[in-house]
Amino acid sequence: MLRKTFHGGVHPADGKKFARDIPFQTYLPKGDLIFALNQHIGKPAKPVVQKGDTVLAGQIIAEADGFVSAHVVSSCSGKVKAVESRTTVAGTLSPCIVVENDGNYTLAEGVGTQREASSLSNQEIVEFVKAAGIIGLGGAGFPTHVKLMPKNPEEIRYVIANGAECEPYITCDDQLMRTAPEEIVAGLKIMLQLFPNAEGVIVIEENKPEAIAAMEKACAGQGKVRVQAVHTKYPQGGERSIISVVAGKHLKLGMLPADVGCVVDNVATIQAIYRAVCKSEPLMERGFTVSGDGVKNPCNLMVKIGTGFAEVLEAAGGFAEGKEVQKLICGGPMMGIAMAGLDVPICKNNNALTVLCEDPVAVAEKQQTACLRCGRCNQVCPLGLTPQMMAVAAERKNYERYEKKLYGLECIACGSCTYICPAKRPLMQLFKQAKAEIMAAKKK
Amino acid sequence: MSRLYNVSSSPHARNRLNTSGVMYNVILALLPAAVFGVYRYGFRAFLVIAVSVLSAVLTEFIFDFITKKNNTVKDGSAVVTGLLLALCLPAGVPVYVPFAGSLFAILFVKCFFGGLGHNFMNPALAGRCFLLLSFSGVMADYSVDGISSSTPLEVLAAGQPVDVMDAFLGFGGGVIGSSIVALCLGGLYLWVIGAITFEIPVTVLVSFSVFIGLFGGQGFDPMYIWLHLATGGVVMGAVFMATDPVTSPVTSLGQILFGLLTGILCGVFRIFGSTPDSVSYAIIIANLAVPLIDEISVPVPYGFRKQREGKKGIPKSALILCAITLIAGAALSGVFGMTKERIEEQQMAASAASYREVCPGAASFSYDEDLKAAIEALGGEIYGTEFGKAYINEAVVGVDESGAEAGYVLSVTSADGFGGNHITLSVGLSVEGTINGISFTELNETAGMGMLCGEEPFKGQFAGVNTEKFILNKAGGSTAENEIDTVSGASVSSGAVVNAVNAALDFYAEYIR
Repeated sequence: MLRKTFHGGVHPADGKKFARDIPFQTYLPKGDLIFALNQHIGKPAKPVVQKGDTVLAGQIIAEADGFVSAHVVSSCSGKVKAVESRTTVAGTLSPCIVVENDGNYTLAEGVGTQREASSLSNQEIVEFVKAAGIIGLGGAGFPTHVKLMPKNPEEIRYVIANGAECEPYITCDDQLMRTAPEEIVAGLKIMLQLFPNAEGVIVIEENKPEAIAAMEKACAGQGKVRVQAVHTKYPQGGERSIISVVAGKHLKLGMLPADVGCVVDNVATIQAIYRAVCKSEPLMERGFTVSGDGVKNPCNLMVKIGTGFAEVLEAAGGFAEGKEVQKLICGGPMMGIAMAGLDVPICKNNNALTVLCEDPVAVAEKQQTACLRCGRCNQVCPLGLTPQMMAVAAERKNYERYEKKLYGLECIACGSCTYICPAKRPLMQLFKQAKAEIMAAKKK
Repeated sequence: MSRLYNVSSSPHARNRLNTSGVMYNVILALLPAAVFGVYRYGFRAFLVIAVSVLSAVLTEFIFDFITKKNNTVKDGSAVVTGLLLALCLPAGVPVYVPFAGSLFAILFVKCFFGGLGHNFMNPALAGRCFLLLSFSGVMADYSVDGISSSTPLEVLAAGQPVDVMDAFLGFGGGVIGSSIVALCLGGLYLWVIGAITFEIPVTVLVSFSVFIGLFGGQGFDPMYIWLHLATGGVVMGAVFMATDPVTSPVTSLGQILFGLLTGILCGVFRIFGSTPDSVSYAIIIANLAVPLIDEISVPVPYGFRKQREGKKGIPKSALILCAITLIAGAALSGVFGMTKERIEEQQMAASAASYREVCPGAASFSYDEDLKAAIEALGGEIYGTEFGKAYINEAVVGVDESGAEAGYVLSVTSADGFGGNHITLSVGLSVEGTINGISFTELNETAGMGMLCGEEPFKGQFAGVNTEKFILNKAGGSTAENEIDTVSGASVSSGAVVNAVNAALDFYAEYIR
């Protein structure tokens, strides 16, 4: 069936087969939990506990610092072991709070209090979301309460629940939509309370028929919410792609979805909103996929935020036997971050660990040739950029041209160009470097 | 310390298609045309393809070896170049032709500019143009194993009907890869797998057709346009040459502009030019415009389009290029038109002068109806069997002031000059049949060697002799009147001249005496 879709995009091998039908199992961590203070976009949170303090599950241990920032909540009960810098996913040191887990998960006071959303004011809803420390769980980690307070709430036309999950291997959103569709719809309806003129659209790629069926069932008779099945194509779940499909509008740098009448949140984020508002549950756990050909038992887990990646791998049976693992990716292969090791904690916005026995980047390096100018990169760019020309400008460090003539800073780093390139040019790497250098020059 | 795993910038996934894959797809797409060529022209075609591909691959291999570069042969691009070049050659060419073409294409056009991805024009086409200029004789000779055949384009230029179906299927004569059906099949395959976009082939063919319709002199007669499309490698050029990614623009808009430029130039050269090879020249000239086209066709990202559309940003650049193309086309066609007339005038003046030179007693020249008929009866075919590739162009009677016959002049061309070059000369005979002298109107042999045929020591040997046939004496020191000493180091050119004169004498004996 012909579905509405966005310009460009690619069809990487989706690898969903490993874990797509495996239901969530809750994993309770054994070791210390580490809470990074900069899990979200914006200013890092300010710690409000000290070494030696006792904390409870659901207790705020670091507070949002400024408007675009988010609280950090402890996901276990225990004793604060340290407030210090630790290595995080990106391989850099970040300020962290280390909590020694007592294994009891004693809840803080007030967690679990039930309430009816329809009786709450908009202000109250946003406060509950903020208190729960919710950020975008899809990857970018933008503080959710900020998204819920646009300047023009009555001009919002679409509240988009992003269940596209276009990233290969990852299946936790799929499982969430299959197992908790009512909670997602309830969360969406809470959001619609804030935006009187909006309709709720749950966008799902058509390679997830079970999730589509479950969500459609949950939407039945619920008013202004509907499911929109979309073409399976990467990066369908990207904010700009999904808005262009649902609203037919295109964003550019410096614009927020609200500027074109949209609010986009991941389905997991919307479930978290429901739990925060109606059950007073802060964001303590999340769905997490451990997958790839290098994992013994690929699976979907409910993990506590702050659990170490190494523990999660153990929960999935460790590395597959008789194979040599070459690459560990936090997230999926298209936009995930390659990790040198697993001694790092899971943050709120980390949704998967992908373990690969063959490193496609290493293979590609051996096949690299000069650019053929074939233009495939231009065809697949979901923003209509010209990666081929951007790469030439970036290589020559002609940043003026890169930024002004070629709109290089618009790049959303989806990696489609790099994926498709037959000459195996390291395009994404060039673009990231160019962007970093341009931004550094601007700060001066 | 536990083991550290690979880290790299995302994405950590790559499509399977690599550069070699791209090239192998093109080779696959060219196979139908190549197979058809071998089926049509037999072993000769296979030989030309084999020599062309092998020399292309070997040239690249040796260049990489000498310059200590990584061996780039296995990416398959040299095979593509060799195959493309071979499919653009007549099947009957001597094997040194594909060898020289591939060598030039790979070494000068590709390797010297940095190898794959850095060449500024299509190597195969540059190789073909090099051959057209260097071996114009054999490149225009479409006979295979002695069986001559005119290309549809030559027939078309002569104003005669062409069998469209033959041209379409590839039975109409011409180069090895002349089957439109087979080429389209390959092009369709490339389009389906996404290796080429439709922009370039479609715009080239459409703009070429429109140009032919506007300036071809026969209006939009579908048959006439179709004839032009089906001949002279237009489809080959549009589908395989103009779409060469390295030498065509990268954006959709750029590709459309490039296609327009190519199609229009192709039409200009076809209608107003003097060479039937309009496609080759049109594409390599359009190749040179690619950096400019790229620069004016940078697309505006989707998020910015609306505001730009208000200012008409994209159409403006398109209009600019269209205007440039039209102006350039008009200027070129004007120049072609003027120079064509001038060239013809000069040629006529030159032949008149040369006629006088070899027939000193004549005040004017007249065409004898019988002679004219005899030449027309030859039909432009090779004259006789023992004079090589000699052609009788014209035979005129010299008339003195009193109106009496003063002698005869025959214009003869031999296509056996060095490298297949044409030598055209006028032979003047007295009424008794004694040669007054010979004079060259076309002589483009090697300087200092073959060119010496035009000098007195050589051509003077013919004057004052009354014989039926001259004999070339390669040893030198001739004693007999009808023996001609060869120009040292230029036995090919000397032989061609002697053959041409003998052909003239034979014609004289047959029709005049």
